[in-house]
Amino acid sequence: MKRNFSIQRQEQRDAFILVTPLLLLMLVFTVYPVISNFYYSFTEWKGFGTAEWVGLKNYAKAIQDDKFWHSLKNLGTLVLYIPFGVFIPLLLAAILREGLKGWTFFRSIIYLPTILGYVVLGTIFSIIFSQTGPIIEFLSAIGVENAAAINLLGSSKSAIHIVAVLFVIFTKIGFGTIFFLAAMSGIDSSMFDAAKIDGAGWWRVFFTITVPSISFSIQFFLVLQFIEVFARMYSFIYTLTYGGPGFATYTLEFGIYRQGFQVFKMGYASSWAVILFLLCAVIAAFQIHLIKKGDLI
Amino acid sequence: MTSSSYKRNQFLARTGVYLFLILVTFISLYPIYFSFISSFKGVQEFTYSKNTLPSVWVLDGYDYVFRNLGILRYLTNSIITVSFGLIGYLYICNATGFALGMLRFKMKLPIFSFLLFFQIFPQMVIASQVYRICSQLGLINTRLGLILVWITYFGPFGTYIMATYYATMPRSLLESARIDGAHIFQQLFHIMIPMAKPMIGTIGIVGSLAMWTELPFSLLLIQKPELRPLSLGIAIMKGEHGIPVPTLSAAIILSIIIPVILYLFFQRSIHQGSTAGAVKG
Repeated sequence: MKRNFSIQRQEQRDAFILVTPLLLLMLVFTVYPVISNFYYSFTEWKGFGTAEWVGLKNYAKAIQDDKFWHSLKNLGTLVLYIPFGVFIPLLLAAILREGLKGWTFFRSIIYLPTILGYVVLGTIFSIIFSQTGPIIEFLSAIGVENAAAINLLGSSKSAIHIVAVLFVIFTKIGFGTIFFLAAMSGIDSSMFDAAKIDGAGWWRVFFTITVPSISFSIQFFLVLQFIEVFARMYSFIYTLTYGGPGFATYTLEFGIYRQGFQVFKMGYASSWAVILFLLCAVIAAFQIHLIKKGDLI
Repeated sequence: MTSSSYKRNQFLARTGVYLFLILVTFISLYPIYFSFISSFKGVQEFTYSKNTLPSVWVLDGYDYVFRNLGILRYLTNSIITVSFGLIGYLYICNATGFALGMLRFKMKLPIFSFLLFFQIFPQMVIASQVYRICSQLGLINTRLGLILVWITYFGPFGTYIMATYYATMPRSLLESARIDGAHIFQQLFHIMIPMAKPMIGTIGIVGSLAMWTELPFSLLLIQKPELRPLSLGIAIMKGEHGIPVPTLSAAIILSIIIPVILYLFFQRSIHQGSTAGAVKG
Protein backbone atom coordinates (compact mmCIF):
# COMPACT_ATOMS: atom_id res chain seq x y z
CA MET A 1 0.00 0.00 0.00
CA LYS A 2 2.70 2.42 1.00
CA ARG A 3 4.83 1.36 -1.97
CA ASN A 4 1.93 1.96 -4.31
CA PHE A 5 1.53 5.41 -2.95
CA SER A 6 5.18 6.26 -3.52
CA ILE A 7 4.99 4.92 -7.10
CA GLN A 8 2.07 7.22 -7.71
CA ARG A 9 4.01 10.15 -6.38
CA GLN A 10 7.01 9.19 -8.44
CA GLU A 11 4.82 9.05 -11.58
CA GLN A 12 3.36 12.43 -10.75
CA ARG A 13 6.86 13.89 -10.44
CA ASP A 14 8.08 12.20 -13.63
CA ALA A 15 5.14 13.51 -15.61
CA PHE A 16 5.76 16.95 -14.25
CA ILE A 17 9.40 16.84 -15.41
CA LEU A 18 8.35 15.77 -18.89
CA VAL A 19 5.55 18.26 -19.51
CA THR A 20 7.21 21.33 -18.01
CA PRO A 21 9.41 22.39 -20.97
CA LEU A 22 6.51 22.62 -23.42
CA LEU A 23 4.26 24.30 -20.88
CA LEU A 24 6.97 26.86 -20.12
CA LEU A 25 7.53 27.58 -23.81
CA MET A 26 3.81 27.97 -24.29
CA LEU A 27 3.48 30.30 -21.33
CA VAL A 28 6.18 32.56 -22.77
CA PHE A 29 5.38 32.40 -26.48
CA THR A 30 1.64 31.68 -26.59
CA VAL A 31 -0.32 32.35 -23.41
CA TYR A 32 1.43 35.50 -22.31
CA PRO A 33 1.21 36.96 -25.85
CA VAL A 34 -2.52 36.23 -26.00
CA ILE A 35 -3.08 37.95 -22.65
CA SER A 36 -0.86 40.95 -23.25
CA ASN A 37 -2.46 41.32 -26.66
CA PHE A 38 -5.76 41.93 -24.84
CA TYR A 39 -4.10 44.72 -22.91
CA TYR A 40 -2.56 46.35 -25.97
CA SER A 41 -5.89 46.27 -27.81
CA PHE A 42 -7.02 48.99 -25.37
CA THR A 43 -4.06 51.22 -26.15
CA GLU A 44 -2.64 53.34 -28.85
CA TRP A 45 0.71 51.75 -29.61
CA LYS A 46 3.10 51.75 -32.55
CA GLY A 47 4.53 48.32 -31.85
CA PHE A 48 7.46 49.91 -30.07
CA GLY A 49 7.80 52.68 -27.49
CA THR A 50 5.11 53.45 -24.96
CA ALA A 51 1.48 52.47 -25.19
CA GLU A 52 -1.24 54.94 -24.26
CA TRP A 53 -4.50 53.68 -22.75
CA VAL A 54 -7.46 54.63 -24.93
CA GLY A 55 -10.19 52.30 -23.65
CA LEU A 56 -12.54 50.93 -26.26
CA LYS A 57 -11.52 53.35 -28.99
CA ASN A 58 -9.84 50.70 -31.16
CA TYR A 59 -12.93 48.52 -31.10
CA ALA A 60 -15.18 51.45 -31.92
CA LYS A 61 -12.88 52.22 -34.82
CA ALA A 62 -12.92 48.63 -36.03
CA ILE A 63 -16.68 48.46 -36.35
CA GLN A 64 -16.61 51.60 -38.47
CA ASP A 65 -13.74 50.37 -40.61
CA ASP A 66 -14.52 49.17 -44.13
CA LYS A 67 -11.44 46.98 -44.09
CA PHE A 68 -12.72 45.15 -41.06
CA TRP A 69 -16.12 44.41 -42.58
CA HIS A 70 -14.47 43.47 -45.85
CA SER A 71 -12.31 40.96 -44.01
CA LEU A 72 -15.32 39.43 -42.30
CA LYS A 73 -17.26 39.33 -45.56
CA ASN A 74 -14.32 37.65 -47.27
CA LEU A 75 -14.10 35.06 -44.52
CA GLY A 76 -17.83 34.49 -45.04
CA THR A 77 -17.29 33.99 -48.77
CA LEU A 78 -14.49 31.52 -48.08
CA VAL A 79 -16.73 29.63 -45.66
CA LEU A 80 -19.39 29.30 -48.38
CA TYR A 81 -16.89 27.30 -50.43
CA ILE A 82 -16.21 24.85 -47.61
CA PRO A 83 -19.04 22.43 -48.60
CA PHE A 84 -17.36 21.98 -51.99
CA GLY A 85 -14.00 21.66 -50.28
CA VAL A 86 -15.46 18.78 -48.27
CA PHE A 87 -17.58 17.14 -50.96
CA ILE A 88 -14.94 16.83 -53.68
CA PRO A 89 -12.37 14.96 -51.55
CA LEU A 90 -15.20 12.83 -50.16
CA LEU A 91 -16.23 11.88 -53.69
CA LEU A 92 -12.65 11.17 -54.75
CA ALA A 93 -12.06 9.00 -51.71
CA ALA A 94 -15.25 7.05 -52.36
CA ILE A 95 -14.10 6.42 -55.95
CA LEU A 96 -10.55 5.46 -54.99
CA ARG A 97 -11.76 3.20 -52.19
CA GLU A 98 -13.07 0.78 -54.81
CA GLY A 99 -9.52 0.12 -55.94
CA LEU A 100 -9.57 1.17 -59.58
CA LYS A 101 -6.49 0.35 -61.58
CA GLY A 102 -3.66 2.70 -60.67
CA TRP A 103 -5.42 4.24 -57.69
CA THR A 104 -2.34 4.32 -55.47
CA PHE A 105 -0.46 6.26 -58.13
CA PHE A 106 -3.33 8.68 -58.32
CA ARG A 107 -3.38 9.05 -54.55
CA SER A 108 0.33 9.98 -54.62
CA ILE A 109 -0.14 12.61 -57.30
CA ILE A 110 -3.06 14.45 -55.77
CA TYR A 111 -1.26 14.86 -52.46
CA LEU A 112 1.81 16.36 -54.08
CA PRO A 113 0.68 20.04 -54.03
CA THR A 114 0.11 19.82 -50.26
CA ILE A 115 3.85 19.19 -49.80
CA LEU A 116 4.79 22.48 -51.45
CA GLY A 117 3.33 24.69 -48.73
CA TYR A 118 1.33 27.89 -49.04
CA VAL A 119 4.23 30.25 -49.80
CA VAL A 120 5.20 28.33 -52.92
CA LEU A 121 1.62 27.60 -53.97
CA GLY A 122 0.59 31.22 -53.53
CA THR A 123 3.58 32.40 -55.54
CA ILE A 124 2.98 29.94 -58.38
CA PHE A 125 -0.73 30.75 -58.58
CA SER A 126 -0.04 34.47 -58.60
CA ILE A 127 1.93 33.86 -61.80
CA ILE A 128 -0.54 31.38 -63.30
CA PHE A 129 -3.53 33.67 -62.75
CA SER A 130 -1.80 36.93 -63.64
CA GLN A 131 -2.76 38.89 -66.71
CA THR A 132 0.46 37.85 -68.37
CA GLY A 133 0.11 34.26 -67.21
CA PRO A 134 -0.51 30.96 -68.97
CA ILE A 135 -4.28 30.89 -68.47
CA ILE A 136 -4.83 34.14 -70.32
CA GLU A 137 -2.40 33.02 -73.01
CA PHE A 138 -4.37 29.80 -73.40
CA LEU A 139 -7.70 31.65 -73.57
CA SER A 140 -6.34 33.97 -76.26
CA ALA A 141 -4.97 31.01 -78.20
CA ILE A 142 -8.36 29.30 -78.35
CA GLY A 143 -9.90 32.54 -79.54
CA VAL A 144 -11.65 33.94 -76.49
CA GLU A 145 -12.44 37.57 -77.23
CA ASN A 146 -10.76 40.20 -75.08
CA ALA A 147 -8.92 37.53 -73.13
CA ALA A 148 -6.13 40.00 -72.49
CA ALA A 149 -8.56 42.19 -70.55
CA ILE A 150 -9.52 39.42 -68.13
CA ASN A 151 -7.83 39.97 -64.79
CA LEU A 152 -8.99 37.24 -62.46
CA LEU A 153 -6.95 38.24 -59.43
CA GLY A 154 -6.85 41.93 -60.26
CA SER A 155 -10.57 42.54 -60.22
CA SER A 156 -12.11 43.14 -56.85
CA LYS A 157 -15.18 41.13 -57.82
CA SER A 158 -13.52 37.90 -58.85
CA ALA A 159 -10.37 37.91 -56.70
CA ILE A 160 -11.85 36.49 -53.50
CA HIS A 161 -13.63 33.74 -55.43
CA ILE A 162 -10.41 32.67 -57.14
CA VAL A 163 -8.68 32.70 -53.75
CA ALA A 164 -11.53 30.61 -52.30
CA VAL A 165 -11.44 28.02 -55.08
CA LEU A 166 -7.68 27.71 -54.80
CA PHE A 167 -7.42 27.69 -51.02
CA VAL A 168 -10.58 25.96 -49.85
CA ILE A 169 -10.89 23.47 -52.71
CA PHE A 170 -7.62 22.99 -54.59
CA THR A 171 -5.15 22.98 -51.71
CA LYS A 172 -7.36 20.61 -49.68
CA ILE A 173 -8.08 17.96 -52.33
CA GLY A 174 -5.03 15.81 -51.59
CA PHE A 175 -5.20 16.11 -47.84
CA GLY A 176 -8.96 15.60 -47.77
CA THR A 177 -8.91 12.54 -50.02
CA ILE A 178 -6.22 10.84 -47.95
CA PHE A 179 -8.09 11.76 -44.80
CA PHE A 180 -11.39 10.31 -46.00
CA LEU A 181 -9.74 7.22 -47.48
CA ALA A 182 -8.33 6.41 -44.06
CA ALA A 183 -11.74 6.93 -42.51
CA MET A 184 -13.46 4.76 -45.14
CA SER A 185 -11.01 1.92 -44.64
CA GLY A 186 -12.68 1.47 -41.26
CA ILE A 187 -16.13 0.79 -42.73
CA ASP A 188 -17.23 -2.83 -42.42
CA SER A 189 -17.09 -4.20 -45.99
CA SER A 190 -20.11 -6.46 -45.40
CA MET A 191 -22.24 -3.31 -45.48
CA PHE A 192 -21.19 -2.66 -49.06
CA ASP A 193 -21.79 -6.28 -50.00
CA ALA A 194 -25.28 -6.19 -48.53
CA ALA A 195 -26.08 -3.02 -50.47
CA LYS A 196 -24.85 -4.64 -53.67
CA ILE A 197 -27.12 -7.64 -53.15
CA ASP A 198 -30.01 -5.22 -52.66
CA GLY A 199 -29.10 -3.72 -56.03
CA ALA A 200 -28.40 -0.22 -54.70
CA GLY A 201 -26.72 2.13 -57.20
CA TRP A 202 -23.41 3.88 -56.64
CA TRP A 203 -24.83 7.19 -55.45
CA ARG A 204 -27.25 5.44 -53.14
CA VAL A 205 -24.42 3.50 -51.56
CA PHE A 206 -22.46 6.72 -51.30
CA PHE A 207 -25.20 8.65 -49.52
CA THR A 208 -26.74 5.89 -47.41
CA ILE A 209 -23.66 3.90 -46.40
CA THR A 210 -20.35 5.65 -47.05
CA VAL A 211 -21.23 9.14 -45.84
CA PRO A 212 -23.19 8.17 -42.70
CA SER A 213 -20.52 5.65 -41.68
CA ILE A 214 -17.81 8.28 -41.55
CA SER A 215 -19.92 11.19 -40.34
CA PHE A 216 -17.55 11.71 -37.42
CA SER A 217 -14.57 12.16 -39.76
CA ILE A 218 -16.58 14.49 -41.97
CA GLN A 219 -17.39 16.71 -38.99
CA PHE A 220 -13.74 16.65 -37.99
CA PHE A 221 -12.61 17.62 -41.47
CA LEU A 222 -15.19 20.39 -41.54
CA VAL A 223 -13.65 21.86 -38.39
CA LEU A 224 -10.18 21.56 -39.94
CA GLN A 225 -11.44 23.52 -42.96
CA PHE A 226 -12.67 26.29 -40.66
CA ILE A 227 -9.29 26.35 -38.93
CA GLU A 228 -7.56 26.64 -42.30
CA VAL A 229 -9.74 29.56 -43.39
CA PHE A 230 -9.59 31.51 -40.14
CA ALA A 231 -6.10 30.67 -38.96
CA ARG A 232 -3.81 29.27 -41.66
CA MET A 233 -4.29 31.53 -44.66
CA TYR A 234 -1.76 34.24 -44.05
CA SER A 235 1.13 32.89 -46.18
CA PHE A 236 -1.19 32.13 -49.07
CA ILE A 237 -2.71 35.63 -49.10
CA TYR A 238 0.69 37.24 -48.64
CA THR A 239 2.12 35.63 -51.75
CA LEU A 240 -1.01 35.34 -53.91
CA THR A 241 -2.75 38.72 -53.66
CA TYR A 242 -1.18 40.64 -50.76
CA GLY A 243 -4.74 41.37 -49.68
CA GLY A 244 -5.51 43.22 -52.90
CA PRO A 245 -6.70 44.58 -55.15
CA GLY A 246 -7.45 47.31 -52.62
CA PHE A 247 -8.59 45.20 -49.71
CA ALA A 248 -10.66 42.79 -51.76
CA THR A 249 -8.91 39.73 -50.37
CA TYR A 250 -8.18 40.95 -46.85
CA THR A 251 -8.73 38.47 -44.07
CA LEU A 252 -8.47 39.24 -40.35
CA GLU A 253 -5.02 37.60 -40.25
CA PHE A 254 -3.74 39.65 -43.13
CA GLY A 255 -5.36 42.83 -41.85
CA ILE A 256 -3.52 42.46 -38.54
CA TYR A 257 -0.25 42.22 -40.41
CA ARG A 258 -0.93 45.24 -42.60
CA GLN A 259 -2.22 47.52 -39.82
CA GLY A 260 0.29 46.39 -37.24
CA PHE A 261 3.53 45.79 -39.04
CA GLN A 262 3.16 48.02 -42.07
CA VAL A 263 1.48 51.17 -40.87
CA PHE A 264 2.43 50.64 -37.21
CA LYS A 265 -1.06 50.95 -35.77
CA MET A 266 -0.29 48.04 -33.51
CA GLY A 267 -2.81 48.91 -30.82
CA TYR A 268 -5.54 48.95 -33.44
CA ALA A 269 -4.27 45.72 -35.01
CA SER A 270 -4.39 44.15 -31.55
CA SER A 271 -8.14 44.78 -31.39
CA TRP A 272 -8.52 42.79 -34.63
CA ALA A 273 -6.34 40.10 -33.09
CA VAL A 274 -8.63 39.89 -30.06
CA ILE A 275 -11.65 39.46 -32.33
CA LEU A 276 -9.85 36.80 -34.37
CA PHE A 277 -8.82 35.12 -31.12
CA LEU A 278 -12.45 34.91 -30.01
CA LEU A 279 -13.59 33.48 -33.35
CA CYS A 280 -10.81 30.88 -33.25
CA ALA A 281 -11.64 30.04 -29.63
CA VAL A 282 -15.12 29.01 -30.76
CA ILE A 283 -13.64 26.78 -33.46
CA ALA A 284 -11.15 25.33 -30.96
CA ALA A 285 -13.98 24.54 -28.56
CA PHE A 286 -15.75 22.64 -31.36
CA GLN A 287 -12.61 20.69 -32.13
CA ILE A 288 -11.96 19.76 -28.52
CA HIS A 289 -15.60 18.72 -28.18
CA LEU A 290 -15.23 16.43 -31.22
CA ILE A 291 -11.94 14.96 -30.01
CA LYS A 292 -13.51 14.11 -26.67
CA LYS A 293 -16.71 12.83 -28.25
CA GLY A 294 -14.73 10.64 -30.64
CA ASP A 295 -12.73 9.20 -27.74
CA LEU A 296 -9.54 10.21 -29.51
CA ILE A 297 -7.87 10.96 -26.19
CA MET B 1 -31.93 -4.97 -74.47
CA THR B 2 -31.96 -3.72 -70.90
CA SER B 3 -28.75 -5.59 -70.26
CA SER B 4 -26.97 -3.87 -73.15
CA SER B 5 -28.18 -0.43 -72.08
CA TYR B 6 -27.04 -1.28 -68.54
CA LYS B 7 -23.64 -2.17 -69.94
CA ARG B 8 -23.51 1.03 -71.95
CA ASN B 9 -24.42 3.05 -68.87
CA GLN B 10 -21.71 1.35 -66.91
CA PHE B 11 -19.22 2.06 -69.63
CA LEU B 12 -20.22 5.74 -69.62
CA ALA B 13 -19.97 5.92 -65.85
CA ARG B 14 -16.52 4.36 -65.91
CA THR B 15 -15.35 6.75 -68.59
CA GLY B 16 -16.76 9.63 -66.62
CA VAL B 17 -14.92 8.54 -63.51
CA TYR B 18 -11.63 8.23 -65.36
CA LEU B 19 -12.08 11.63 -67.01
CA PHE B 20 -12.71 13.14 -63.59
CA LEU B 21 -9.58 11.50 -62.19
CA ILE B 22 -7.49 12.62 -65.15
CA LEU B 23 -8.73 16.17 -64.71
CA VAL B 24 -7.80 16.17 -61.02
CA THR B 25 -4.38 14.67 -61.83
CA PHE B 26 -3.77 17.38 -64.40
CA ILE B 27 -4.77 20.15 -61.98
CA SER B 28 -2.57 18.67 -59.26
CA LEU B 29 0.50 18.44 -61.45
CA TYR B 30 0.08 21.66 -63.37
CA PRO B 31 1.61 24.07 -60.81
CA ILE B 32 4.81 22.02 -60.63
CA TYR B 33 4.88 21.45 -64.37
CA PHE B 34 4.45 25.15 -65.02
CA SER B 35 7.20 26.18 -62.59
CA PHE B 36 9.52 23.53 -63.95
CA ILE B 37 9.22 24.50 -67.62
CA SER B 38 9.29 28.21 -66.82
CA SER B 39 12.48 27.84 -64.82
CA PHE B 40 14.33 26.60 -67.92
CA LYS B 41 13.05 29.29 -70.28
CA GLY B 42 14.74 32.46 -71.35
CA VAL B 43 12.95 35.64 -70.30
CA GLN B 44 12.25 36.37 -73.97
CA GLU B 45 10.71 33.03 -74.69
CA PHE B 46 8.52 33.14 -71.58
CA THR B 47 6.75 36.28 -72.80
CA TYR B 48 5.25 34.55 -75.83
CA SER B 49 5.15 30.89 -74.88
CA LYS B 50 3.99 29.91 -71.42
CA ASN B 51 2.44 26.47 -71.61
CA THR B 52 4.80 24.59 -73.89
CA LEU B 53 8.18 23.07 -73.16
CA PRO B 54 11.12 25.44 -73.65
CA SER B 55 12.35 25.45 -77.25
CA VAL B 56 15.82 26.08 -75.88
CA TRP B 57 16.54 24.90 -72.35
CA VAL B 58 18.57 27.59 -70.60
CA LEU B 59 19.91 27.91 -67.05
CA ASP B 60 19.79 31.71 -66.84
CA GLY B 61 17.17 31.66 -64.08
CA TYR B 62 19.18 29.25 -61.95
CA ASP B 63 22.37 31.12 -62.63
CA TYR B 64 20.75 34.35 -61.47
CA VAL B 65 19.26 32.98 -58.22
CA PHE B 66 22.58 31.41 -57.27
CA ARG B 67 24.76 34.38 -58.13
CA ASN B 68 22.62 37.41 -57.40
CA LEU B 69 19.88 36.33 -55.02
CA GLY B 70 21.93 34.16 -52.68
CA ILE B 71 19.56 31.20 -52.79
CA LEU B 72 22.27 28.88 -51.49
CA ARG B 73 22.39 30.97 -48.34
CA TYR B 74 18.62 30.63 -47.86
CA LEU B 75 18.81 26.92 -48.51
CA THR B 76 21.58 26.46 -45.95
CA ASN B 77 19.66 28.58 -43.44
CA SER B 78 16.54 26.48 -43.88
CA ILE B 79 18.48 23.26 -43.49
CA ILE B 80 20.21 24.47 -40.31
CA THR B 81 17.16 26.02 -38.67
CA VAL B 82 14.80 23.17 -39.55
CA SER B 83 17.31 20.50 -38.41
CA PHE B 84 17.85 22.03 -34.99
CA GLY B 85 14.17 22.89 -34.75
CA LEU B 86 13.35 19.28 -35.51
CA ILE B 87 15.56 17.93 -32.73
CA GLY B 88 13.85 20.15 -30.16
CA TYR B 89 10.44 19.45 -31.63
CA LEU B 90 10.89 15.68 -31.47
CA TYR B 91 12.12 15.79 -27.89
CA ILE B 92 9.23 18.00 -26.77
CA CYS B 93 6.57 15.99 -28.60
CA ASN B 94 7.86 12.67 -27.27
CA ALA B 95 8.47 13.75 -23.69
CA THR B 96 5.12 15.53 -23.39
CA GLY B 97 3.29 12.95 -25.49
CA PHE B 98 4.63 10.07 -23.38
CA ALA B 99 3.54 11.79 -20.19
CA LEU B 100 0.08 12.63 -21.49
CA GLY B 101 -0.46 9.32 -23.26
CA MET B 102 0.79 6.85 -20.67
CA LEU B 103 1.55 8.32 -17.28
CA ARG B 104 -1.15 8.90 -14.70
CA PHE B 105 -1.06 12.28 -13.04
CA LYS B 106 -3.28 15.06 -11.84
CA MET B 107 -4.01 17.85 -14.29
CA LYS B 108 -3.61 15.51 -17.25
CA LEU B 109 -6.92 16.35 -18.93
CA PRO B 110 -6.69 20.10 -18.31
CA ILE B 111 -3.19 20.11 -19.82
CA PHE B 112 -4.47 18.15 -22.80
CA SER B 113 -7.32 20.59 -23.40
CA PHE B 114 -4.90 23.48 -22.94
CA LEU B 115 -2.62 22.14 -25.71
CA LEU B 116 -5.51 21.48 -28.06
CA PHE B 117 -6.98 24.90 -27.42
CA PHE B 118 -3.81 26.86 -28.04
CA GLN B 119 -2.61 24.95 -31.08
CA ILE B 120 -5.18 26.40 -33.46
CA PHE B 121 -4.50 30.11 -33.14
CA PRO B 122 -3.03 31.84 -36.18
CA GLN B 123 0.44 33.28 -35.87
CA MET B 124 -0.93 36.78 -36.39
CA VAL B 125 -3.00 36.72 -33.19
CA ILE B 126 0.19 36.56 -31.14
CA ALA B 127 2.68 37.99 -33.62
CA SER B 128 3.06 41.50 -32.22
CA GLN B 129 3.57 40.22 -28.67
CA VAL B 130 5.91 37.43 -29.75
CA TYR B 131 7.93 40.07 -31.52
CA ARG B 132 7.98 42.26 -28.41
CA ILE B 133 9.00 39.38 -26.13
CA CYS B 134 11.70 38.21 -28.54
CA SER B 135 13.18 41.67 -28.78
CA GLN B 136 13.25 41.93 -24.98
CA LEU B 137 15.01 38.56 -24.82
CA GLY B 138 17.42 39.52 -27.61
CA LEU B 139 16.06 36.80 -29.89
CA ILE B 140 15.33 38.93 -32.96
CA ASN B 141 17.58 37.95 -35.87
CA THR B 142 18.71 34.77 -34.18
CA ARG B 143 18.13 31.20 -35.27
CA LEU B 144 17.50 30.27 -31.64
CA GLY B 145 14.54 32.66 -31.45
CA LEU B 146 12.92 31.26 -34.56
CA ILE B 147 13.53 27.69 -33.41
CA LEU B 148 11.97 28.28 -29.97
CA VAL B 149 8.94 29.97 -31.49
CA TRP B 150 8.52 27.19 -34.06
CA ILE B 151 8.74 24.46 -31.42
CA THR B 152 6.15 26.25 -29.32
CA TYR B 153 3.85 26.77 -32.29
CA PHE B 154 4.10 23.32 -33.89
CA GLY B 155 4.83 21.28 -30.75
CA PRO B 156 1.29 20.96 -29.36
CA PHE B 157 -0.05 19.23 -32.47
CA GLY B 158 2.86 16.77 -32.62
CA THR B 159 2.46 16.16 -28.91
CA TYR B 160 -1.20 15.40 -29.37
CA ILE B 161 -0.41 12.82 -32.07
CA MET B 162 2.34 11.22 -29.97
CA ALA B 163 0.06 11.14 -26.93
CA THR B 164 -2.65 9.28 -28.85
CA TYR B 165 0.05 6.85 -30.00
CA TYR B 166 1.59 6.28 -26.56
CA ALA B 167 -1.91 5.77 -25.18
CA THR B 168 -2.24 2.64 -27.35
CA MET B 169 0.98 1.11 -25.99
CA PRO B 170 0.68 -1.35 -23.07
CA ARG B 171 1.35 0.07 -19.63
CA SER B 172 3.13 -3.13 -18.68
CA LEU B 173 6.16 -1.79 -20.57
CA LEU B 174 6.36 0.99 -18.06
CA GLU B 175 5.89 -1.30 -15.09
CA SER B 176 8.60 -3.73 -16.12
CA ALA B 177 10.98 -0.84 -16.78
CA ARG B 178 10.34 0.36 -13.25
CA ILE B 179 11.08 -3.03 -11.79
CA ASP B 180 14.42 -2.85 -13.61
CA GLY B 181 14.98 0.43 -11.84
CA ALA B 182 14.93 2.63 -14.95
CA HIS B 183 14.39 6.29 -14.18
CA ILE B 184 12.12 8.47 -16.25
CA PHE B 185 14.60 9.47 -18.96
CA GLN B 186 15.77 5.87 -19.35
CA GLN B 187 12.13 4.85 -19.69
CA LEU B 188 11.64 7.53 -22.33
CA PHE B 189 14.82 7.05 -24.38
CA HIS B 190 15.46 3.31 -24.01
CA ILE B 191 11.96 1.91 -24.05
CA MET B 192 9.30 4.32 -25.27
CA ILE B 193 11.04 6.13 -28.11
CA PRO B 194 12.34 2.93 -29.79
CA MET B 195 8.81 1.50 -29.64
CA ALA B 196 7.24 4.61 -31.12
CA LYS B 197 9.59 4.94 -34.11
CA PRO B 198 6.96 4.69 -36.86
CA MET B 199 4.91 7.54 -35.44
CA ILE B 200 8.02 9.58 -34.64
CA GLY B 201 8.96 9.31 -38.32
CA THR B 202 5.54 10.61 -39.21
CA ILE B 203 5.52 13.62 -36.92
CA GLY B 204 9.16 14.31 -37.82
CA ILE B 205 8.28 14.70 -41.46
CA VAL B 206 5.07 16.60 -40.80
CA GLY B 207 6.94 18.92 -38.42
CA SER B 208 9.89 19.56 -40.70
CA LEU B 209 7.62 20.32 -43.64
CA ALA B 210 5.66 22.73 -41.47
CA MET B 211 8.86 24.53 -40.45
CA TRP B 212 10.29 24.44 -43.98
CA THR B 213 7.24 26.24 -45.36
CA GLU B 214 6.53 28.57 -42.42
CA LEU B 215 6.33 32.26 -43.22
CA PRO B 216 4.80 34.64 -40.63
CA PHE B 217 7.25 34.12 -37.76
CA SER B 218 10.30 34.07 -40.04
CA LEU B 219 9.12 37.28 -41.64
CA LEU B 220 8.83 39.04 -38.30
CA LEU B 221 11.78 37.59 -36.41
CA ILE B 222 14.38 37.43 -39.16
CA GLN B 223 15.22 40.76 -40.74
CA LYS B 224 18.82 40.14 -41.71
CA PRO B 225 18.97 38.83 -45.29
CA GLU B 226 21.85 36.50 -44.40
CA LEU B 227 19.66 34.60 -41.91
CA ARG B 228 16.58 34.25 -44.10
CA PRO B 229 15.13 30.79 -44.57
CA LEU B 230 13.94 29.72 -48.02
CA SER B 231 10.21 30.28 -47.63
CA LEU B 232 10.88 33.86 -46.54
CA GLY B 233 13.37 34.28 -49.37
CA ILE B 234 10.76 33.20 -51.92
CA ALA B 235 8.06 35.42 -50.42
CA ILE B 236 10.38 38.43 -50.54
CA MET B 237 11.53 37.71 -54.10
CA LYS B 238 7.88 37.47 -55.08
CA GLY B 239 7.22 40.90 -53.63
CA GLU B 240 10.14 42.53 -55.40
CA HIS B 241 9.19 43.99 -58.72
CA GLY B 242 11.15 43.20 -61.79
CA ILE B 243 12.19 39.66 -60.96
CA PRO B 244 11.37 37.75 -64.14
CA VAL B 245 9.16 34.66 -63.92
CA PRO B 246 11.88 32.21 -65.06
CA THR B 247 14.12 33.42 -62.22
CA LEU B 248 11.36 33.17 -59.64
CA SER B 249 10.45 29.73 -60.98
CA ALA B 250 14.03 28.57 -60.61
CA ALA B 251 13.96 29.66 -56.96
CA ILE B 252 10.68 27.81 -56.46
CA ILE B 253 12.01 24.61 -58.01
CA LEU B 254 15.11 24.77 -55.80
CA SER B 255 12.98 25.29 -52.72
CA ILE B 256 10.70 22.32 -53.37
CA ILE B 257 13.35 19.75 -54.31
CA ILE B 258 13.98 18.58 -50.75
CA PRO B 259 10.29 18.36 -49.74
CA VAL B 260 9.43 16.52 -52.96
CA ILE B 261 12.26 14.01 -52.49
CA LEU B 262 11.16 13.49 -48.88
CA TYR B 263 7.66 12.90 -50.16
CA LEU B 264 8.79 10.31 -52.69
CA PHE B 265 10.59 8.33 -49.99
CA PHE B 266 8.28 8.81 -47.03
CA GLN B 267 4.91 9.00 -48.70
CA ARG B 268 3.32 6.53 -46.32
CA SER B 269 4.43 8.42 -43.24
CA ILE B 270 3.28 11.70 -44.70
CA HIS B 271 -0.13 10.31 -45.57
CA GLN B 272 -0.36 8.85 -42.09
CA GLY B 273 0.57 12.22 -40.65
CA SER B 274 -2.43 13.88 -42.23
CA THR B 275 -4.84 11.49 -40.56
CA ALA B 276 -3.07 10.81 -37.27
CA GLY B 277 -5.00 12.04 -34.29
CA ALA B 278 -8.18 12.51 -36.28
CA VAL B 279 -9.12 9.10 -37.64
CA LYS B 280 -9.22 6.14 -35.34
CA GLY B 281 -7.07 3.11 -36.09
